[in-house]
Amino acid sequence: MTLQDLRPLLPLLVLSAAIVTVMLVIAFKRDHRLTFALTLIGLVLSLAALPLASSGLPRTVTPLVVIDGFALFYIALVLAASLVVVIFSFSYLEKVAGNREEYYLLMMLATLGAVVLVVSNHFVSFFIGLETLSISLYTLIAYTRFERQRIEAAIKYLVLAAAASSFLLFGMALAYLVYGTMQFDQMSSPSNFSAADSALLTVGLAMLMVGIGFKLALVPFHMWAPDVYQGAPAPVTAFVATVSKGGIIALMLRLFAFVPLTLGSNLWNVFALIAILSMLAGNVLAVVQSNVKRILAYSSIAHFGYLLVAFLASNALSISSMTFYLVVYIITSLIAFGVITVLSHPQKEFEELEDYRGLFRQQRRPAIFLGLALLSLASLPPTGGLVGKIFLAAAGVESSLWLLLAALVIGSVIGVFYYLRVAITIFRQPEEESAVWTAPRLTPLAEVTLVLLSLGLIILGIFPAPLINLIEAVAARLG
Amino acid sequence: MTAIPLNHALILSAMLFTVGLVGLLVRRNIFFMLMSIEIMLNAAGLAFIVAGTRWGQPDGQVMFLFILALAAAEVSIGLALILRLYQQFKTMDVDAAHELQG
Repeated sequence: MTLQDLRPLLPLLVLSAAIVTVMLVIAFKRDHRLTFALTLIGLVLSLAALPLASSGLPRTVTPLVVIDGFALFYIALVLAASLVVVIFSFSYLEKVAGNREEYYLLMMLATLGAVVLVVSNHFVSFFIGLETLSISLYTLIAYTRFERQRIEAAIKYLVLAAAASSFLLFGMALAYLVYGTMQFDQMSSPSNFSAADSALLTVGLAMLMVGIGFKLALVPFHMWAPDVYQGAPAPVTAFVATVSKGGIIALMLRLFAFVPLTLGSNLWNVFALIAILSMLAGNVLAVVQSNVKRILAYSSIAHFGYLLVAFLASNALSISSMTFYLVVYIITSLIAFGVITVLSHPQKEFEELEDYRGLFRQQRRPAIFLGLALLSLASLPPTGGLVGKIFLAAAGVESSLWLLLAALVIGSVIGVFYYLRVAITIFRQPEEESAVWTAPRLTPLAEVTLVLLSLGLIILGIFPAPLINLIEAVAARLG
Repeated sequence: MTAIPLNHALILSAMLFTVGLVGLLVRRNIFFMLMSIEIMLNAAGLAFIVAGTRWGQPDGQVMFLFILALAAAEVSIGLALILRLYQQFKTMDVDAAHELQG
């Protein structure tokens, strides 16, 4: 490792320095506004370091980490999503009694974990990134104290995530046993594998998939998602839905660029089954929910099922269509959970469908933002959701995955029904007693953020070409 | 001293993993569930050491050290949550906490 190697690592270094700074500042002076400001500055500086890091790429820094255009794109996505979540968290935390400062510390640590995941090229960095992310999340989920639901959600997440981690580790160990290396870019399957070795590799990759499937909440590893989405504080839910899952998708794309997943193999069939189950079960179970956070949890299960369709197609369109869809999904989720966050109170989250009745009459702007997010989730125009779904389907058509595409279409149709149910509730006449309900007002910073996100979502729906070109440029360097 | 065959060590780690998994699924006491997870993590660590031995590399053992560190971090958070669970629900039974449902 030389001094030149530090330059591509700049975003990580800046973020780590910001974490240490915030930690020290908390030790000397507890101040919510100050910690919030430092966190924002840290994340913005880390984003600003991205252009500096972008010369002389791709670069492998030690065997653990690789920085290329793909990594920088995903780092930017993760950091930006985290920045938005932090902005929404401020007004929510203002109402929390007790210590609020460590929340920002944990959120930055979790972000660092996601960034390490995105750049990892080795099982060790994969594992360390994943655990930095997960362990920070256990605490974040239980953050506001003395709440029974928070503790329940955190314990469920801890037990299941730890079990998933051990599956993941065992899978890694088996893959290492067969390949003799833990570096992704040296994992190529020579044809002279013995029968025992290829059986071990299949088992190992299947166990890896259990770990990844858990993190993405794919059926049948989705049990935690609705409970954690509901039980966690609203901004943390936003973080789980966006940063955590985005980091895993980046890692999955990088890992499987080297470990081939051939069409029609046993493993491929298992993946396909998981995708179909996620698309159908996620959407069907969402219909019967009456809690908006649980609806969004089931909807996220379905959306990651859609992403798997393009993943399984593994053709030229896969990486770019998945990345585009992920960007749109992250923007949409940030808007939806952002609205929930700014309307929530730590003692009472604004989450029951009944709460939303007549929202439009009481609070125009949040209702419009949420409505737009719902349109995008349902992939209706004029939002990016439609373009993203068409792009994903195109990848599936290219590889003639008709069964998966059928599930995608059926799932989307069911989806439109329950997204529109929420949207209609917002615009209905409020009942007498709910007129008394006064949700908190938007802070100016949160409102500007919501406006920018909504504009971004519409622009992606009308002029998707610039982003698609950018993604294709960075994805071309992968693999 | 004769070397232990690769298969035997691998089978041992698979058995340990299964013991942990069964414990996790059967036990309802949160304490025993955490201990089962420890067993699963250590089984994975053993598998790493076996894999490292096959290739004559220290990487497997290095990974085991990382796994130990992770297990310690995970358990410390887990114990803190157990304390809170006990304060709130006056029980160690995870099934008592079932307020989240749709």
